[in-house]
Amino acid sequence: MRRTVLVAGRVVRQLLRNPRFLVLSVAAPLVIVYLLKIFFDTLPETFDVARYAVPVAAFLVHFLAFLLCAISLVQERTMGTMERMFVNGFRRTEIIAGYVLGFLGLATFQAVAGLAEAIWLFELDYDEETLGMLFVVVWLLAIASVMLGIFISTFARHEGQVFPFVPLIILPSVFLSGLLVEVDELPAWADWLGHAFPLFWANDVIQDVIESGWSFEDVQGSLAVLAAYSVVLLLLASLTLREVE
Amino acid sequence: MNSIEVSGLTKRYGRVEALEGADLSVGRGEIFGLVGPNGAGKTTLIKGLVGALRPSGGTARVMGLNPLRDRAVLRQRIGYMPQSAALYEDLSARDNVRFFGAAHRTPDLKKKVDELMHFSDLSGRADDPVHTFSGGMKRRVSLACALVHRPEVIFLDEPTAAVDPQLRSRFWKTFRELAGDGATLFISTHLMDEAMLCDRIAILRKGRIIATDTPQGVLEQGRTRLTVVHDDTDTKETIGGHPEDLAAALRPYGLQPGVTAIGVETDSLEAVVLSLIEKAEVG
Repeated sequence: MRRTVLVAGRVVRQLLRNPRFLVLSVAAPLVIVYLLKIFFDTLPETFDVARYAVPVAAFLVHFLAFLLCAISLVQERTMGTMERMFVNGFRRTEIIAGYVLGFLGLATFQAVAGLAEAIWLFELDYDEETLGMLFVVVWLLAIASVMLGIFISTFARHEGQVFPFVPLIILPSVFLSGLLVEVDELPAWADWLGHAFPLFWANDVIQDVIESGWSFEDVQGSLAVLAAYSVVLLLLASLTLREVE
Repeated sequence: MNSIEVSGLTKRYGRVEALEGADLSVGRGEIFGLVGPNGAGKTTLIKGLVGALRPSGGTARVMGLNPLRDRAVLRQRIGYMPQSAALYEDLSARDNVRFFGAAHRTPDLKKKVDELMHFSDLSGRADDPVHTFSGGMKRRVSLACALVHRPEVIFLDEPTAAVDPQLRSRFWKTFRELAGDGATLFISTHLMDEAMLCDRIAILRKGRIIATDTPQGVLEQGRTRLTVVHDDTDTKETIGGHPEDLAAALRPYGLQPGVTAIGVETDSLEAVVLSLIEKAEVG
Protein backbone atom coordinates (compact mmCIF):
# COMPACT_ATOMS: atom_id res chain seq x y z
CA MET A 1 0.00 0.00 0.00
CA ARG A 2 2.85 2.39 0.90
CA ARG A 3 4.54 1.89 -2.46
CA THR A 4 1.17 2.25 -4.24
CA VAL A 5 0.76 5.67 -2.65
CA LEU A 6 4.36 6.49 -3.62
CA VAL A 7 3.66 5.69 -7.28
CA ALA A 8 0.35 7.62 -7.19
CA GLY A 9 2.04 10.68 -5.65
CA ARG A 10 4.79 10.56 -8.22
CA VAL A 11 2.27 10.22 -11.11
CA VAL A 12 0.33 13.27 -9.83
CA ARG A 13 3.53 15.33 -9.45
CA GLN A 14 4.51 14.42 -13.00
CA LEU A 15 1.08 15.41 -14.34
CA LEU A 16 1.20 18.75 -12.55
CA ARG A 17 4.70 19.54 -13.82
CA ASN A 18 3.95 18.79 -17.45
CA PRO A 19 2.07 21.81 -18.91
CA ARG A 20 1.54 20.20 -22.33
CA PHE A 21 -0.02 17.17 -20.69
CA LEU A 22 -2.26 19.34 -18.52
CA VAL A 23 -3.41 21.41 -21.48
CA LEU A 24 -4.16 18.30 -23.51
CA SER A 25 -6.01 16.53 -20.71
CA VAL A 26 -8.00 19.47 -19.32
CA ALA A 27 -8.24 22.33 -21.81
CA ALA A 28 -8.59 20.26 -24.99
CA PRO A 29 -11.89 18.53 -24.03
CA LEU A 30 -13.34 21.88 -22.94
CA VAL A 31 -12.41 23.46 -26.27
CA ILE A 32 -13.84 20.53 -28.23
CA VAL A 33 -17.16 20.69 -26.33
CA TYR A 34 -17.30 24.39 -27.21
CA LEU A 35 -16.66 23.60 -30.91
CA LEU A 36 -19.45 21.05 -30.69
CA LYS A 37 -21.74 23.79 -29.39
CA ILE A 38 -20.88 26.01 -32.39
CA PHE A 39 -21.58 23.09 -34.72
CA PHE A 40 -24.90 22.17 -33.06
CA ASP A 41 -25.99 25.81 -33.26
CA THR A 42 -26.02 25.54 -37.06
CA LEU A 43 -28.48 22.64 -36.99
CA PRO A 44 -32.30 23.09 -37.17
CA GLU A 45 -34.04 23.80 -33.86
CA THR A 46 -35.79 20.43 -34.08
CA PHE A 47 -32.40 18.74 -33.58
CA ASP A 48 -32.31 16.93 -30.21
CA VAL A 49 -29.16 18.45 -28.68
CA ALA A 50 -29.64 16.68 -25.35
CA ARG A 51 -29.45 13.29 -27.09
CA TYR A 52 -25.84 14.00 -28.12
CA ALA A 53 -24.29 16.67 -25.86
CA VAL A 54 -23.52 14.63 -22.73
CA PRO A 55 -22.60 11.41 -24.62
CA VAL A 56 -20.10 13.36 -26.74
CA ALA A 57 -18.59 14.95 -23.60
CA ALA A 58 -18.40 11.44 -22.11
CA PHE A 59 -16.67 10.18 -25.25
CA LEU A 60 -14.03 12.94 -25.03
CA VAL A 61 -13.29 12.04 -21.41
CA HIS A 62 -13.13 8.35 -22.41
CA PHE A 63 -10.76 8.97 -25.33
CA LEU A 64 -8.35 11.30 -23.51
CA ALA A 65 -8.22 9.35 -20.25
CA PHE A 66 -7.42 6.19 -22.24
CA LEU A 67 -4.80 7.82 -24.45
CA LEU A 68 -2.98 9.80 -21.76
CA CYS A 69 -2.82 6.90 -19.33
CA ALA A 70 -1.64 4.44 -21.99
CA ILE A 71 1.06 6.83 -23.23
CA SER A 72 2.28 7.64 -19.70
CA LEU A 73 2.73 3.97 -18.91
CA VAL A 74 4.41 3.19 -22.23
CA GLN A 75 6.80 6.10 -21.59
CA GLU A 76 7.79 4.37 -18.35
CA ARG A 77 8.88 1.42 -20.47
CA THR A 78 10.70 3.41 -23.16
CA MET A 79 12.51 5.60 -20.61
CA GLY A 80 13.60 2.55 -18.59
CA THR A 81 11.88 3.74 -15.41
CA MET A 82 9.47 0.77 -15.45
CA GLU A 83 12.41 -1.65 -15.29
CA ARG A 84 14.02 0.53 -12.63
CA MET A 85 10.84 0.47 -10.53
CA PHE A 86 10.73 -3.33 -10.70
CA VAL A 87 14.41 -3.66 -9.76
CA ASN A 88 13.74 -1.30 -6.84
CA GLY A 89 11.16 -3.71 -5.49
CA PHE A 90 7.87 -2.30 -6.82
CA ARG A 91 5.38 -5.02 -7.68
CA ARG A 92 3.06 -5.11 -10.67
CA THR A 93 -0.05 -4.59 -8.55
CA GLU A 94 1.58 -1.63 -6.75
CA ILE A 95 2.49 0.07 -10.03
CA ILE A 96 -0.94 -0.46 -11.58
CA ALA A 97 -2.85 0.56 -8.45
CA GLY A 98 -0.58 3.63 -8.15
CA TYR A 99 -1.43 4.62 -11.70
CA VAL A 100 -5.15 4.10 -11.08
CA LEU A 101 -4.98 6.29 -7.96
CA GLY A 102 -2.87 8.94 -9.70
CA PHE A 103 -5.13 9.15 -12.73
CA LEU A 104 -8.31 8.97 -10.64
CA GLY A 105 -7.89 12.64 -9.74
CA LEU A 106 -7.42 13.60 -13.37
CA ALA A 107 -10.36 11.44 -14.47
CA THR A 108 -12.58 13.01 -11.79
CA PHE A 109 -11.60 16.49 -12.88
CA GLN A 110 -12.17 15.66 -16.54
CA ALA A 111 -15.59 14.16 -15.74
CA VAL A 112 -16.69 17.18 -13.68
CA ALA A 113 -15.32 19.80 -16.09
CA GLY A 114 -16.56 18.12 -19.30
CA LEU A 115 -20.01 17.47 -17.89
CA ALA A 116 -20.38 20.91 -16.31
CA GLU A 117 -19.38 22.64 -19.52
CA ALA A 118 -21.75 20.55 -21.66
CA ILE A 119 -24.68 21.23 -19.31
CA TRP A 120 -23.89 24.95 -19.13
CA LEU A 121 -23.23 25.51 -22.84
CA PHE A 122 -26.19 23.48 -24.09
CA GLU A 123 -28.46 24.87 -21.35
CA LEU A 124 -29.54 21.43 -20.27
CA ASP A 125 -31.98 21.47 -17.40
CA TYR A 126 -31.65 18.39 -15.22
CA ASP A 127 -32.64 17.80 -11.62
CA GLU A 128 -29.99 17.07 -8.97
CA GLU A 129 -30.46 13.31 -9.07
CA THR A 130 -29.97 13.23 -12.82
CA LEU A 131 -26.91 15.44 -12.61
CA GLY A 132 -25.50 13.20 -9.88
CA MET A 133 -26.07 10.07 -11.94
CA LEU A 134 -24.58 11.68 -15.06
CA PHE A 135 -21.46 12.50 -13.05
CA VAL A 136 -21.29 8.95 -11.65
CA VAL A 137 -21.53 7.36 -15.07
CA VAL A 138 -18.98 9.67 -16.73
CA TRP A 139 -16.66 9.14 -13.77
CA LEU A 140 -17.04 5.34 -14.00
CA LEU A 141 -16.38 5.57 -17.74
CA ALA A 142 -13.24 7.63 -17.05
CA ILE A 143 -11.99 4.99 -14.60
CA ALA A 144 -12.73 2.22 -17.12
CA SER A 145 -10.81 4.28 -19.71
CA VAL A 146 -7.79 4.54 -17.38
CA MET A 147 -7.93 0.74 -16.89
CA LEU A 148 -8.22 0.25 -20.65
CA GLY A 149 -5.19 2.52 -21.12
CA ILE A 150 -3.18 0.51 -18.57
CA PHE A 151 -4.20 -2.78 -20.21
CA ILE A 152 -3.43 -1.63 -23.76
CA SER A 153 -0.09 -0.16 -22.67
CA THR A 154 1.12 -3.67 -21.82
CA PHE A 155 1.02 -4.51 -25.55
CA ALA A 156 3.00 -1.48 -26.71
CA ARG A 157 6.78 -1.17 -26.60
CA HIS A 158 6.78 2.52 -27.55
CA GLU A 159 4.31 5.41 -27.74
CA GLY A 160 3.66 4.90 -31.46
CA GLN A 161 2.31 1.41 -30.80
CA VAL A 162 -0.53 2.88 -28.70
CA PHE A 163 -2.08 4.72 -31.65
CA PRO A 164 -3.21 1.65 -33.67
CA PHE A 165 -5.51 0.89 -30.74
CA VAL A 166 -7.36 4.18 -31.33
CA PRO A 167 -8.94 3.06 -34.64
CA LEU A 168 -9.23 -0.48 -33.27
CA ILE A 169 -11.03 0.30 -30.01
CA ILE A 170 -11.90 3.96 -29.54
CA LEU A 171 -13.21 5.01 -32.97
CA PRO A 172 -15.46 1.94 -33.55
CA SER A 173 -17.07 2.67 -30.20
CA VAL A 174 -18.31 6.00 -31.63
CA PHE A 175 -20.37 4.15 -34.25
CA LEU A 176 -21.27 0.98 -32.36
CA SER A 177 -22.09 2.20 -28.86
CA GLY A 178 -25.33 4.03 -29.64
CA LEU A 179 -23.68 7.44 -29.55
CA LEU A 180 -24.76 8.41 -33.09
CA VAL A 181 -27.51 5.89 -33.89
CA GLU A 182 -29.51 3.42 -31.83
CA VAL A 183 -27.69 0.07 -31.76
CA ASP A 184 -31.01 -1.68 -32.55
CA GLU A 185 -30.81 -0.17 -36.02
CA LEU A 186 -27.40 -1.77 -36.67
CA PRO A 187 -26.90 -5.31 -38.06
CA ALA A 188 -27.10 -7.98 -35.34
CA TRP A 189 -23.34 -8.61 -35.31
CA ALA A 190 -22.58 -4.88 -34.93
CA ASP A 191 -25.17 -4.60 -32.14
CA TRP A 192 -23.47 -7.53 -30.39
CA LEU A 193 -19.99 -6.05 -30.96
CA GLY A 194 -21.16 -2.67 -29.62
CA HIS A 195 -21.83 -4.31 -26.23
CA ALA A 196 -18.08 -4.96 -25.91
CA PHE A 197 -17.26 -1.22 -25.61
CA PRO A 198 -17.48 0.57 -22.25
CA LEU A 199 -18.93 3.60 -24.02
CA PHE A 200 -21.99 1.51 -24.93
CA TRP A 201 -22.86 0.95 -21.27
CA ALA A 202 -22.15 4.56 -20.32
CA ASN A 203 -24.32 5.83 -23.18
CA ASP A 204 -27.07 3.40 -22.17
CA VAL A 205 -27.18 4.98 -18.69
CA ILE A 206 -26.94 8.54 -20.08
CA GLN A 207 -29.85 8.02 -22.52
CA ASP A 208 -31.96 6.51 -19.71
CA VAL A 209 -31.38 9.31 -17.20
CA ILE A 210 -31.76 12.28 -19.58
CA GLU A 211 -35.29 11.08 -20.24
CA SER A 212 -37.62 12.07 -17.42
CA GLY A 213 -38.88 9.48 -14.98
CA TRP A 214 -35.85 7.22 -14.67
CA SER A 215 -35.17 5.13 -11.58
CA PHE A 216 -31.96 3.56 -10.23
CA GLU A 217 -33.29 0.09 -11.14
CA ASP A 218 -33.31 1.18 -14.80
CA VAL A 219 -29.58 1.92 -14.84
CA GLN A 220 -28.03 -0.31 -12.19
CA GLY A 221 -27.35 -3.15 -14.64
CA SER A 222 -25.35 -0.95 -17.04
CA LEU A 223 -23.54 0.74 -14.14
CA ALA A 224 -22.58 -2.68 -12.79
CA VAL A 225 -21.24 -3.74 -16.21
CA LEU A 226 -19.20 -0.52 -16.41
CA ALA A 227 -17.74 -1.14 -12.95
CA ALA A 228 -17.07 -4.80 -13.82
CA TYR A 229 -15.29 -3.61 -16.97
CA SER A 230 -12.79 -1.72 -14.79
CA VAL A 231 -12.22 -4.69 -12.49
CA VAL A 232 -11.68 -7.14 -15.35
CA LEU A 233 -9.30 -4.77 -17.17
CA LEU A 234 -7.40 -4.19 -13.94
CA LEU A 235 -6.98 -7.94 -13.45
CA LEU A 236 -5.94 -8.44 -17.08
CA ALA A 237 -3.42 -5.59 -16.85
CA SER A 238 -1.96 -7.13 -13.66
CA LEU A 239 -1.43 -10.35 -15.58
CA THR A 240 -0.01 -8.85 -18.76
CA LEU A 241 2.32 -6.15 -17.40
CA ARG A 242 5.77 -7.57 -18.12
CA GLU A 243 8.12 -7.53 -15.15
CA VAL A 244 10.84 -9.61 -16.75
CA GLU A 245 12.07 -9.62 -20.38
CA MET B 1 30.24 -17.03 0.03
CA ASN B 2 30.77 -15.06 -3.17
CA SER B 3 28.46 -12.11 -3.82
CA ILE B 4 27.82 -13.17 -7.40
CA GLU B 5 27.98 -16.64 -8.94
CA VAL B 6 27.14 -17.22 -12.58
CA SER B 7 27.32 -20.62 -14.21
CA GLY B 8 26.57 -21.41 -17.86
CA LEU B 9 24.19 -18.46 -18.17
CA THR B 10 22.60 -18.22 -21.61
CA LYS B 11 20.05 -15.88 -23.15
CA ARG B 12 18.55 -16.25 -26.61
CA TYR B 13 16.40 -13.71 -28.44
CA GLY B 14 14.99 -15.80 -31.26
CA ARG B 15 18.02 -16.90 -33.26
CA VAL B 16 20.37 -14.44 -31.61
CA GLU B 17 22.36 -15.78 -28.70
CA ALA B 18 23.07 -12.75 -26.49
CA LEU B 19 24.77 -14.82 -23.78
CA GLU B 20 26.52 -18.12 -24.50
CA GLY B 21 27.19 -19.85 -21.23
CA ALA B 22 28.77 -17.11 -19.12
CA ASP B 23 30.64 -18.27 -16.01
CA LEU B 24 32.06 -15.99 -13.34
CA SER B 25 32.19 -15.38 -9.63
CA VAL B 26 32.67 -12.12 -7.75
CA GLY B 27 33.76 -11.91 -4.13
CA ARG B 28 32.32 -9.62 -1.47
CA GLY B 29 33.84 -6.15 -1.50
CA GLU B 30 35.28 -6.63 -4.97
CA ILE B 31 35.04 -4.17 -7.85
CA PHE B 32 34.46 -6.34 -10.88
CA GLY B 33 34.58 -4.88 -14.37
CA LEU B 34 32.82 -6.23 -17.42
CA VAL B 35 34.66 -5.19 -20.56
CA GLY B 36 33.67 -5.75 -24.17
CA PRO B 37 32.54 -4.15 -27.40
CA ASN B 38 28.97 -3.05 -28.12
CA GLY B 39 26.64 -6.00 -28.43
CA ALA B 40 28.97 -8.29 -26.46
CA GLY B 41 26.23 -9.07 -23.92
CA LYS B 42 27.28 -6.82 -21.01
CA THR B 43 23.85 -5.30 -20.47
CA THR B 44 22.15 -8.67 -20.94
CA LEU B 45 24.35 -10.19 -18.24
CA ILE B 46 23.65 -7.32 -15.82
CA LYS B 47 19.90 -7.53 -16.48
CA GLY B 48 20.04 -11.26 -15.82
CA LEU B 49 21.69 -10.61 -12.46
CA VAL B 50 19.20 -7.95 -11.31
CA GLY B 51 16.22 -10.11 -12.29
CA ALA B 52 15.06 -7.89 -15.16
CA LEU B 53 15.56 -10.68 -17.66
CA ARG B 54 14.69 -14.39 -17.69
CA PRO B 55 17.76 -16.40 -18.79
CA SER B 56 17.31 -19.18 -21.34
CA GLY B 57 19.62 -21.46 -19.36
CA GLY B 58 22.27 -21.71 -16.65
CA THR B 59 22.17 -20.36 -13.13
CA ALA B 60 22.84 -17.03 -11.47
CA ARG B 61 23.04 -16.28 -7.76
CA VAL B 62 23.46 -12.90 -6.10
CA MET B 63 24.24 -13.21 -2.39
CA GLY B 64 23.07 -16.80 -2.73
CA LEU B 65 19.67 -15.68 -4.01
CA ASN B 66 18.05 -16.49 -7.33
CA PRO B 67 17.48 -13.13 -9.11
CA LEU B 68 14.04 -14.25 -10.34
CA ARG B 69 12.66 -16.61 -7.72
CA ASP B 70 13.92 -14.57 -4.75
CA ARG B 71 13.56 -11.15 -6.37
CA ALA B 72 11.37 -9.69 -3.63
CA VAL B 73 14.16 -10.19 -1.05
CA LEU B 74 17.08 -9.60 -3.39
CA ARG B 75 15.85 -6.26 -4.73
CA GLN B 76 16.02 -4.73 -1.27
CA ARG B 77 19.74 -5.49 -1.21
CA ILE B 78 20.91 -4.49 -4.67
CA GLY B 79 21.39 -1.18 -6.47
CA TYR B 80 21.05 -0.85 -10.22
CA MET B 81 22.03 1.91 -12.60
CA PRO B 82 20.85 1.07 -16.12
CA GLN B 83 22.62 2.16 -19.29
CA SER B 84 19.90 4.70 -20.14
CA ALA B 85 19.22 7.53 -17.70
CA ALA B 86 15.91 5.89 -16.59
CA LEU B 87 14.70 9.01 -14.77
CA TYR B 88 11.43 10.94 -14.59
CA GLU B 89 12.27 13.91 -16.77
CA ASP B 90 9.47 16.16 -15.46
CA LEU B 91 10.58 15.67 -11.86
CA SER B 92 13.56 17.25 -10.17
CA ALA B 93 16.81 15.43 -9.43
CA ARG B 94 15.88 15.43 -5.74
CA ASP B 95 12.39 14.01 -6.43
CA ASN B 96 13.85 11.20 -8.52
CA VAL B 97 16.35 10.14 -5.87
CA ARG B 98 13.75 10.50 -3.11
CA PHE B 99 11.23 8.33 -5.02
CA PHE B 100 13.62 5.39 -5.41
CA GLY B 101 14.99 5.85 -1.91
CA ALA B 102 11.47 5.81 -0.41
CA ALA B 103 10.73 2.52 -2.20
CA HIS B 104 13.28 0.89 0.14
CA ARG B 105 12.14 2.59 3.37
CA THR B 106 15.58 4.22 3.52
CA PRO B 107 16.15 5.70 6.99
CA ASP B 108 17.16 9.40 7.15
CA LEU B 109 16.12 9.69 3.53
CA LYS B 110 16.21 13.49 3.41
CA LYS B 111 19.77 13.58 4.73
CA LYS B 112 20.92 10.86 2.34
CA VAL B 113 19.33 12.62 -0.63
CA ASP B 114 21.09 15.87 0.34
CA GLU B 115 24.41 14.02 0.67
CA LEU B 116 23.98 12.43 -2.75
CA MET B 117 23.07 15.76 -4.34
CA HIS B 118 26.30 17.16 -2.93
CA PHE B 119 28.35 14.13 -3.99
CA SER B 120 26.94 14.37 -7.54
CA ASP B 121 27.76 18.07 -7.64
CA LEU B 122 24.07 18.82 -8.17
CA SER B 123 23.23 20.78 -5.02
CA GLY B 124 22.65 23.96 -7.04
CA ARG B 125 20.32 22.23 -9.51
CA ALA B 126 18.70 19.65 -7.21
CA ASP B 127 15.22 21.12 -7.61
CA ASP B 128 15.37 21.67 -11.37
CA PRO B 129 13.52 19.27 -13.66
CA VAL B 130 15.76 16.57 -15.07
CA HIS B 131 14.81 17.40 -18.68
CA THR B 132 16.88 20.59 -18.33
CA PHE B 133 20.04 18.56 -17.50
CA SER B 134 22.92 17.54 -19.75
CA GLY B 135 23.63 13.85 -20.40
CA GLY B 136 26.41 13.81 -17.80
CA MET B 137 24.18 15.39 -15.14
CA LYS B 138 21.50 12.77 -15.80
CA ARG B 139 24.11 10.03 -15.29
CA ARG B 140 24.92 11.58 -11.91
CA VAL B 141 21.27 11.59 -10.85
CA SER B 142 20.91 8.03 -12.08
CA LEU B 143 23.91 6.93 -10.03
CA ALA B 144 22.49 8.68 -6.96
CA CYS B 145 19.22 6.74 -7.43
CA ALA B 146 21.18 3.47 -7.44
CA LEU B 147 23.14 4.29 -4.27
CA VAL B 148 20.52 6.02 -2.10
CA HIS B 149 19.49 2.92 -0.11
CA ARG B 150 23.08 1.79 0.52
CA PRO B 151 22.83 -1.54 -1.34
CA GLU B 152 25.16 -4.46 -0.68
CA VAL B 153 25.69 -5.32 -4.36
CA ILE B 154 25.70 -2.52 -6.92
CA PHE B 155 25.25 -3.11 -10.65
CA LEU B 156 26.38 -0.16 -12.77
CA ASP B 157 25.94 -0.29 -16.55
CA GLU B 158 28.49 2.17 -17.97
CA PRO B 159 28.18 4.57 -15.04
CA THR B 160 30.64 7.18 -16.21
CA ALA B 161 29.61 7.52 -19.86
CA ALA B 162 29.42 11.27 -20.67
CA VAL B 163 30.80 12.21 -17.23
CA ASP B 164 33.75 14.63 -17.18
CA PRO B 165 37.17 13.32 -16.02
CA GLN B 166 37.13 15.24 -12.72
CA LEU B 167 33.76 13.86 -11.66
CA ARG B 168 34.66 10.40 -12.96
CA SER B 169 37.62 10.44 -10.65
CA ARG B 170 35.31 11.36 -7.76
CA PHE B 171 32.91 8.54 -8.74
CA TRP B 172 35.76 6.03 -8.63
CA LYS B 173 36.89 7.29 -5.26
CA THR B 174 33.35 6.65 -4.01
CA PHE B 175 33.25 3.20 -5.65
CA ARG B 176 36.47 2.33 -3.83
CA GLU B 177 35.03 3.59 -0.52
CA LEU B 178 31.85 1.57 -1.03
CA ALA B 179 33.93 -1.53 -1.76
CA GLY B 180 36.00 -0.77 1.35
CA ASP B 181 32.78 -0.80 3.37
CA GLY B 182 32.02 -4.28 2.01
CA ALA B 183 29.80 -3.48 -0.97
CA THR B 184 30.36 -5.43 -4.18
CA LEU B 185 30.41 -3.45 -7.41
CA PHE B 186 29.72 -5.00 -10.80
CA ILE B 187 30.53 -2.43 -13.46
CA SER B 188 30.36 -2.59 -17.23
CA THR B 189 32.63 -0.20 -19.08
CA HIS B 190 34.09 0.65 -22.45
CA LEU B 191 36.89 2.67 -20.93
CA MET B 192 40.16 0.85 -20.42
CA ASP B 193 41.54 3.35 -17.91
CA GLU B 194 38.44 2.55 -15.83
CA ALA B 195 38.93 -1.19 -16.28
CA MET B 196 42.43 -0.71 -14.81
CA LEU B 197 40.80 0.55 -11.61
CA CYS B 198 38.81 -2.67 -11.11
CA ASP B 199 40.03 -5.50 -8.90
CA ARG B 200 39.26 -8.00 -11.64
CA ILE B 201 37.80 -7.80 -15.10
CA ALA B 202 36.04 -10.20 -17.44
CA ILE B 203 36.29 -9.72 -21.18
CA LEU B 204 33.04 -10.49 -22.94
CA ARG B 205 32.82 -11.15 -26.65
CA LYS B 206 29.64 -12.16 -28.47
CA GLY B 207 28.04 -13.42 -25.29
CA ARG B 208 31.05 -15.46 -24.20
CA ILE B 209 33.55 -14.62 -21.46
CA ILE B 210 36.97 -15.09 -23.06
CA ALA B 211 39.16 -14.04 -20.13
CA THR B 212 38.81 -13.25 -16.43
CA ASP B 213 41.76 -11.89 -14.52
CA THR B 214 43.13 -8.88 -12.68
CA PRO B 215 43.81 -5.95 -15.02
CA GLN B 216 47.54 -6.56 -14.42
CA GLY B 217 47.10 -10.25 -15.26
CA VAL B 218 45.39 -9.34 -18.53
CA LEU B 219 48.14 -6.83 -19.30
CA GLU B 220 50.76 -9.52 -18.84
CA GLN B 221 49.17 -11.45 -21.68
CA GLY B 222 50.19 -8.60 -23.95
CA ARG B 223 53.38 -8.31 -25.98
CA THR B 224 56.40 -6.17 -25.21
CA ARG B 225 58.37 -4.59 -28.02
CA LEU B 226 62.04 -3.90 -27.49
CA THR B 227 63.85 -1.50 -29.78
CA VAL B 228 67.62 -1.55 -29.84
CA VAL B 229 69.38 1.38 -31.53
CA HIS B 230 72.98 1.00 -32.81
CA ASP B 231 74.82 4.27 -33.41
CA ASP B 232 77.38 2.79 -35.78
CA THR B 233 74.86 1.34 -38.20
CA ASP B 234 72.10 3.78 -37.47
CA THR B 235 69.64 0.88 -37.49
CA LYS B 236 66.82 -0.07 -35.22
CA GLU B 237 65.84 -3.61 -34.40
CA THR B 238 62.51 -4.40 -32.87
CA ILE B 239 62.00 -7.61 -30.99
CA GLY B 240 58.51 -8.61 -29.92
CA GLY B 241 57.68 -10.96 -27.10
CA HIS B 242 56.52 -11.40 -23.57
CA PRO B 243 58.50 -9.78 -20.75
CA GLU B 244 60.18 -13.06 -19.80
CA ASP B 245 61.49 -13.43 -23.35
CA LEU B 246 63.28 -10.10 -23.31
CA ALA B 247 66.32 -11.20 -21.40
CA ALA B 248 67.02 -13.87 -24.01
CA ALA B 249 66.43 -11.34 -26.77
CA LEU B 250 68.96 -8.92 -25.26
CA ARG B 251 71.59 -11.53 -24.46
CA PRO B 252 73.35 -11.43 -27.90
CA TYR B 253 73.86 -7.69 -27.54
CA GLY B 254 75.57 -7.80 -24.17
CA LEU B 255 76.39 -4.26 -23.24
CA GLN B 256 78.19 -3.26 -26.41
CA PRO B 257 79.19 0.41 -26.43
CA GLY B 258 77.47 0.70 -29.80
CA VAL B 259 74.09 0.19 -28.22
CA THR B 260 73.03 3.71 -27.39
CA ALA B 261 69.38 3.26 -26.49
CA ILE B 262 66.93 0.54 -25.55
CA GLY B 263 63.25 1.33 -25.87
CA VAL B 264 60.61 -0.81 -24.23
CA GLU B 265 56.99 -0.50 -25.22
CA THR B 266 54.28 -2.60 -23.61
CA ASP B 267 50.80 -3.21 -25.02
CA SER B 268 48.06 -1.11 -23.45
CA LEU B 269 45.12 -2.88 -21.84
CA GLU B 270 43.01 -1.86 -24.82
CA ALA B 271 45.49 -3.47 -27.22
CA VAL B 272 45.57 -6.67 -25.15
CA VAL B 273 41.78 -6.82 -24.95
CA LEU B 274 41.47 -6.26 -28.70
CA SER B 275 44.08 -8.92 -29.34
CA LEU B 276 42.27 -11.40 -27.09
CA ILE B 277 39.00 -10.64 -28.89
CA GLU B 278 40.65 -11.12 -32.28
CA LYS B 279 42.20 -14.39 -31.11
CA ALA B 280 38.79 -15.59 -29.92
CA GLU B 281 37.30 -14.70 -33.29
CA VAL B 282 39.97 -16.63 -35.18
CA GLY B 283 39.99 -19.60 -32.82
